[in-house]
Amino acid sequence: MNLLRIAGKELKVLRDVKMLLFMLATPVLLMLILGTALSGNFQATVKVEPIRVIYSFDGVSGAEEEKWESLLLEGEASGITFEEAADGTEADMKKDVQNGLYTGYARVAGEGISYYGNSGRTMENGIVQGLLTPLTDRYKLTFIESGIPGADGNYVADTTVDTGSKPGSLDYFAVAVTTMIILYSALTAGQLIETERSGHTAIRLLASPVTKGEIFAGKIAGSFVLNAIFVVIIVLLSKYMFGANWGENLWLVFLVLFSELVLALSLGLAVGYCLRGNAAGSVLMMIIQVAAFVGGAYTPVEATSGLMYALSAYSPLHWSNDAILQIIYAGKLEAAPPAMLLNIGCSVLLLALAIVLMRRREGL
Amino acid sequence: MNVLEINQLTKKFGDYTAVDHLSLSVQEGEIFGFLGPNGAGKSTTIQIAASLLSATKGEITIMGRNIAKHGRFAKGAIGFVPQDLAIYENMTAYENVHFFAGLYGLRGAELKRSVVEALEFVGLEDRQGGFPKNFSGGMKRRLNIACAIAHKPKLIIMDEPTVGIDPQSRSYILNSVKKLNRMGSTIIYTSHYMEEVEEICSRIAIIDHGKIIAEGTKAELKAIITNQKSISIAVRSTEGVPLDQLKSIVGVNAVEAAEQSINISSAVEINNLNRIIQLLVASGVEIRGVEAQEPSLETVFLTLTGRTLRDE
Repeated sequence: MNLLRIAGKELKVLRDVKMLLFMLATPVLLMLILGTALSGNFQATVKVEPIRVIYSFDGVSGAEEEKWESLLLEGEASGITFEEAADGTEADMKKDVQNGLYTGYARVAGEGISYYGNSGRTMENGIVQGLLTPLTDRYKLTFIESGIPGADGNYVADTTVDTGSKPGSLDYFAVAVTTMIILYSALTAGQLIETERSGHTAIRLLASPVTKGEIFAGKIAGSFVLNAIFVVIIVLLSKYMFGANWGENLWLVFLVLFSELVLALSLGLAVGYCLRGNAAGSVLMMIIQVAAFVGGAYTPVEATSGLMYALSAYSPLHWSNDAILQIIYAGKLEAAPPAMLLNIGCSVLLLALAIVLMRRREGL
Repeated sequence: MNVLEINQLTKKFGDYTAVDHLSLSVQEGEIFGFLGPNGAGKSTTIQIAASLLSATKGEITIMGRNIAKHGRFAKGAIGFVPQDLAIYENMTAYENVHFFAGLYGLRGAELKRSVVEALEFVGLEDRQGGFPKNFSGGMKRRLNIACAIAHKPKLIIMDEPTVGIDPQSRSYILNSVKKLNRMGSTIIYTSHYMEEVEEICSRIAIIDHGKIIAEGTKAELKAIITNQKSISIAVRSTEGVPLDQLKSIVGVNAVEAAEQSINISSAVEINNLNRIIQLLVASGVEIRGVEAQEPSLETVFLTLTGRTLRDE
């Protein structure tokens, strides 16, 4: 009962309208600003240059030539221009491709079809290859791309078409900002005990017939409920104000978000017990900023590389974001448990550390 | 019956001994004064009694039960008024008292009634919906007390409850302490203000360097120094006062220089006032008044510890 009483006290902060507005306006504005300013990273439409392919026959049978002709017809219907080489050697045609006169050169020979594409026009080559792919079952199709080491070796390029939907800019930042804001709740958790100490109410709490464990659990429970309410409001605001896509499995998304919230609160408490006063806040701020930066709060992790990409694996923001995006856009419900287990596992360790430090300490 | 009994209590912080084999008892119905300069071990002792700190050695019983074994019972029997204001600024006066009283197991109508009674007792019934940030220092002090008494504790420990407030609020609080005592609570009262302790306490213990150096009623304590007189000399400035030479005058036991006064504890039977005045004049100290006083608790404290309490 005392646990609930202490938890309930934490919710009194909801009466502070200014604070409430600030806590809600910050993430909503961040979503709007990041979603608008960085929308270029999330273009759904891509401009495709005109595609011109030069080809030549080399000892092709009548049946193969027939199929090649039907391919040409199909290609031209898609807006690709196929031009048969009038004269010149294969080297001349490859040079024309390199110089950008053509998107690629296709040589239809008895042993199969070879395609030589301009490496600077990846997307257009992809389209041509997409048209050539249906023939790979029946012919030995060799794609040779310039600029690839050992490109003169024969290999079959296995092209896959990504049919899954992708988040738009606002959709992405609705998720990323929400998970980032959750991480920031570590700051308030870091101050949970410190505010009782600095306000001297810790003395009165400890003088009453309440155990340290009840105080600790009550404060965590209260803070969790308070922050969970904010998370729900932020998600709903982004969904209905900006039309952000949170998918069909919102309950599972909330479970992942709440598990991240538990992790953030545990982190705050552990650091709050390790370091007293302002030092805890500074260290937490640093951890949060780094985790947010490498975890994809401002740029999708897929768009990063090197050290930043490697570090993203250690950011709770990244693994939570990743799970949520997979739930929303790939319908992969199985992406949730690993992220939740990781969040809860880390929380258990951090809470254990905080409890050990709390027990050792006289007072709160 | 002893409401509180402390037996051979020792508390160490590393190598520093804050409380050193201290023993005392507080009887039911008393207002027990606990005097001592800062760092004497007074706050540490009452914090251990209130289960805020653990003892290194020794035993404390509250109403016959060892607090180490019956912590929850002991805490429930005590109302603790901390020296620092321990109230939530974002909660109303009513909510503050309601919250803390609720932690002591009061529920429903009984809780509400107790909260209102506590607020009435400290004269805040009209401000129960107000937030402490809008209260004066005295009102906050009174709310601080209300939070500790709503559950009607048998023993109330007050740690300097009148620090930094106006005389009117101080008077209100002192009257409240006496009233609480009349209503059946035993009170342990610590203060830097000797006159407060003299006014309200029925028994007093003086602590210094973690040990009780004197204990008894006011009369008993004053009897310790019936052979002492207290001389208070008002001066323009205490700069240049030859403290060591004053202490060496025959009969002088203790000398304490405050901002514009010199307090001297001296043997009654030796007439050394002329010698003291001559020494001060010769040292260039401008004397503005001389007053010989009856032994007071201040004199007792000065004689026993060699320092005044208020300037600590």
